[in-house]
Amino acid sequence: MTKKIHLKRKGKEAEPTNEVATSSEASENEEEEDLLQAVKDPGEDSTDDEGIDQEYHSDSSEELEFESDEEGNYLGRKQSSSAEDDDDEEQSSDEEEDESADSEEKDEVSASTSKKIQPEEKPSSSTSSGATKKGAATKELPKRESQSKPEYQDSDTSDEEDIRNTVGNIPMHWYDEYKHIGYDWDAKKIVKPPQGDQIDEFLRKIEDPDFWRTVKDPLTGQDVRLTDEDIALIKRIVSGRIPNKDHEEYEPWIEWFTSEVEKMPIKNVPDHKRSFLPSVSEKKRVSRMVHALKMGWMKTTEEVQREKQAKRGPKFYMLWETDTAREHMRRIHDPVSAPKRDLPGHAESYNPPPEYLFDAKETKEWLKLKDEPHKRKLHFMPQKFKSLREVPAYSRYLRERFLRCLDLYLCPRAKRVKLNIDAEYLIPKLPSPLWEIATGRCIRTIETDEVVRCVAWCPNPKLSIIAVATGNRLLLVNPKVGDKVLVKKTDDLLAEAPSQDVIESERIKTAVQWSNAEADEQEKGVRVVITHFKPIRQVTWHGRGDYLATVMPEGANRSALIHQLSKRRSQIPFSKSKGLIQFVLFHPVKPCFFVATQHNIRIYDLVKQELVKKLLTNSKWISGMSIHPKGDNLLVSTYDKKMLWFDLDLSTKPYQTMRLHRNAVRSVAFHLRYPLFASGSDDQAVIVSHGMVYNDLLQNPLIVPLKKLQTHEKRDEFGVLDVNWHPVQPWVFSTGADCTIRLYT
Amino acid sequence: MDAENGEGQVQVHLKTKQEHYAVPDVPYAIDGTVTTAELNTFVNALLKQKDGSSSTDTDFDFLVFDEYLRGRLCDHLREKAISFEDAIEIEYVERFPAPEPQDCLLHDDWVSAVKASGKWILSGCYDNTLNLWTNKGKHILTIPGHTAPIKAVDWISLDEETVRFVSTSQDQTAMLWQWSVASNSVECVSVCKGHERGVDSVSVSPDGQRFATGSWDTMLKVWSAEVDDAPEGTSKRMKESGVRTPKMTLQGHRESISAVQWMDATTLLTGSWDHTLKVWDLSLEGIKTEISTNKSIFDASYSRLNRLILTASADKNLRLYDARTNQGSVVRNTYLGHNAWVQSVMWSNTEEFLFVSGAYDNQNKLWDCRSPKAPLYDLLGHGDKVLDIDWSNPKYIVSGGADNTVRVFKSRKALTEDMETK
Repeated sequence: MTKKIHLKRKGKEAEPTNEVATSSEASENEEEEDLLQAVKDPGEDSTDDEGIDQEYHSDSSEELEFESDEEGNYLGRKQSSSAEDDDDEEQSSDEEEDESADSEEKDEVSASTSKKIQPEEKPSSSTSSGATKKGAATKELPKRESQSKPEYQDSDTSDEEDIRNTVGNIPMHWYDEYKHIGYDWDAKKIVKPPQGDQIDEFLRKIEDPDFWRTVKDPLTGQDVRLTDEDIALIKRIVSGRIPNKDHEEYEPWIEWFTSEVEKMPIKNVPDHKRSFLPSVSEKKRVSRMVHALKMGWMKTTEEVQREKQAKRGPKFYMLWETDTAREHMRRIHDPVSAPKRDLPGHAESYNPPPEYLFDAKETKEWLKLKDEPHKRKLHFMPQKFKSLREVPAYSRYLRERFLRCLDLYLCPRAKRVKLNIDAEYLIPKLPSPLWEIATGRCIRTIETDEVVRCVAWCPNPKLSIIAVATGNRLLLVNPKVGDKVLVKKTDDLLAEAPSQDVIESERIKTAVQWSNAEADEQEKGVRVVITHFKPIRQVTWHGRGDYLATVMPEGANRSALIHQLSKRRSQIPFSKSKGLIQFVLFHPVKPCFFVATQHNIRIYDLVKQELVKKLLTNSKWISGMSIHPKGDNLLVSTYDKKMLWFDLDLSTKPYQTMRLHRNAVRSVAFHLRYPLFASGSDDQAVIVSHGMVYNDLLQNPLIVPLKKLQTHEKRDEFGVLDVNWHPVQPWVFSTGADCTIRLYT
Repeated sequence: MDAENGEGQVQVHLKTKQEHYAVPDVPYAIDGTVTTAELNTFVNALLKQKDGSSSTDTDFDFLVFDEYLRGRLCDHLREKAISFEDAIEIEYVERFPAPEPQDCLLHDDWVSAVKASGKWILSGCYDNTLNLWTNKGKHILTIPGHTAPIKAVDWISLDEETVRFVSTSQDQTAMLWQWSVASNSVECVSVCKGHERGVDSVSVSPDGQRFATGSWDTMLKVWSAEVDDAPEGTSKRMKESGVRTPKMTLQGHRESISAVQWMDATTLLTGSWDHTLKVWDLSLEGIKTEISTNKSIFDASYSRLNRLILTASADKNLRLYDARTNQGSVVRNTYLGHNAWVQSVMWSNTEEFLFVSGAYDNQNKLWDCRSPKAPLYDLLGHGDKVLDIDWSNPKYIVSGGADNTVRVFKSRKALTEDMETK
């Protein structure tokens, strides 16, 4: 800023000297001009005031410019325009004021008014040609000021210039088409001066000795004759010298800021305390920069330099990705590298140590394995040569290359990942059954005449009845345990035989007879005897305790019978035998009847009396069945070591086949409440498994074997004969060929 | 390596609550590998120094961080994750003397219930009879009356002249008996009818006014234990027949109630096969607390001394519960030692930490509740499953089993104390 001011000052100072230099020539003109200015002066006062303001602003422009944004646009704009003006004027004044001053004073006598006003137009209006004209005007301004208002000496604004053409700073060729060239202050058209054609120009060129120094002012269209001063200035500029000829280039140096180091400080004010304290704002700035460095947003000069260096330098890159890593194969994801060849041993040397050479026995052996060369320890016979020169061509070379290629070609190229799931992971979290052998006191023994094959409690909680299959007879026994009232009720119920209103067919009559027990048997608790025509193998109750079914394997087409307790009636559901019936079962909810023959299981609807489904077990011999209490899943045990889980809704084929036992499976049982089932087998083991059936039909049952309980002893190839669950507790009872009943919890 | 093996030195403070056995409270540096026996000789040596080598050797047990020291000290500390560098406080208590088998009372059938009190021992048998014995082993009476095996017995009151007791049976009744000692005649005061299944457990209230029965029909009934409880309005016939009806019936269990005990005059504890322990408030006639476990409970015992509950359930372990906590089934401790189902458990009513248990592995065990790993003593003798055990009389531990015997074990400590008081 100071420099600027300095320059300006110089410029202004120069003007009066110019004036002085040229005064002798143009004294008359000057007077005229002065008169003119005097007339104008009153009007210019206001503009001058403005000029002061601007001067003030421009002097301290740097600080104030920042402020201007906050103070208001007006100030800012004004300032910037003033700054522009300053610059422009500086240039113009520096360059051309001398010349223009000359020209005006000398030549423009006739058109003095117009010419004098012209330079006062807005200086930024045009290019260098315009500037020259302007220069003339600006030259005059300081002169005027020096006379009338010396306090404005420093002012170099052009705002107060009398602008003749009011069109403003526009390209003047827009007016090429028109007769006028703009508007004056009174809004009247400024008419273009008459334009001569080329002949006129040529004539002028010949006639006018000053033609060479005549230029056209684009703003006014007037011809302007450059003064000698102008020309001198131009010449100086063209020759690259300082335009102002009065400028002292080598004026004596004033040492404003001394280069000598003073011994004593110029000012003795101690540093402010603030200067010792770390600056908070700087700290923030530094931390911001550090953060930026860390984040990589900012780079240190070194880094930038290095980057530049790298950019400039030659670029190298790996032709392959790395030197060490395995080559990435596009299609084979986990490739297995080809098997490596063994390194050659001593035996392969052309001059092996003698111990590697075959002796007679080894040679013989080697030769003996001619037909199966893969059995040889070495695929060649070690040979000894005196020198490498004597080694003949290797006869097996091609063969070995071929075999190697075969090896590579047949080598598996990808690993097959085996799915490893920890078996523990699959087992659901359950209280693991502890097992002890428990007690029970024999409350009562009921003796029967023949072998008891099967017993079953009546599932109806209101009745206290056990169905006992012994020999040909089915005994309904009241065990006289539990609630006395219940016992008595049962007795009453069984004592009176309901009247037989339905006449039974001969076929049934020959098969079954109902009768009340004899007196001596009554004593033991036996209440009703159903005598069959063949030995009974199995008896099972319907869920409500009214119906019970018996199986007589030797009964041919009458081997399965259904008895109704309340009516003391029997039915033979099947007229023809479909096979040797092994096991029968009632559905717990639906009126369905499961009949297991040796190979298959048939499901009958008892209401419609038709075959619903036939389950294909694909096994040789079925031993037992158990149905899930919800009724949709059936477990089947077979003598061929398998257990089959049928999902009755899913298909007629087993959902899952479990081969858990090592011997014939004799019996399976579902728990009524817990998701458990147990199986007993001839391998003396009882296996408890988790069999979760979900209410969601889409979810398959979950079956997990939990525990193998192997405590029964073996008797004649028989192990566990039957298993059953406690109705409430998770306790399994098993019976074995070793004459024991065991309870596992 | 030494430290790992526990062969380093450990600083211990020896303390005791029995003042006549106190030793000077100075820290001793002892070897980490010491066992109870070595500590015993050490403490005895200290005592001898103190008393001038006059006293005889006494056996002590050592408690380290509230648990009995069994085996080496270092192993114990490692198990408890205690630094070897801390000074360790070892409390020693006089060892509870081993109970001695005293008698074997022969019965005709399995003994399912047994109760000792004062001079008498009452046993219930599977042959439907009750038997009265003196604690010296003399058989006094066989009382028939029930029509099904007896399941539980309890004393109501003991006088010099008349003794009253109650028995419950699988014949769905409980019977109140009165026995006049002088004439040696027993009389059935009344028959309590109301249960629909076998009555498995009985307990008489601390004041002897009432008794509670738990049955297979899942009901808990409270009866009057008075000789003459019939209110004014009752018909004469009812009075004469001696049939008694329950004062209160509490329903809540889902399975058979296997254990009943009075905690105080208005609170009852029951254990059931439905895996729960319930505490009933009789003044509210409702459940106060319920503790769920994961096994069927066969027996439960509440100690008035330490207010904890012990259960015997369908496995080999005894479990310790605290009914005062509300956080469901928080097992305070588990006692491992039996090899089969534990059928019966009972706290000592004089020793705070001791209890006995009888199990299907033919063994009775005497436990200290601070020693969960091993019992103090195994009381051998039974040849078959133990069905009931009783320690109501501090002098005698009595158990009945499926070998048709009642075994009586004499608790020496109680006897010596008894002698001292005399």
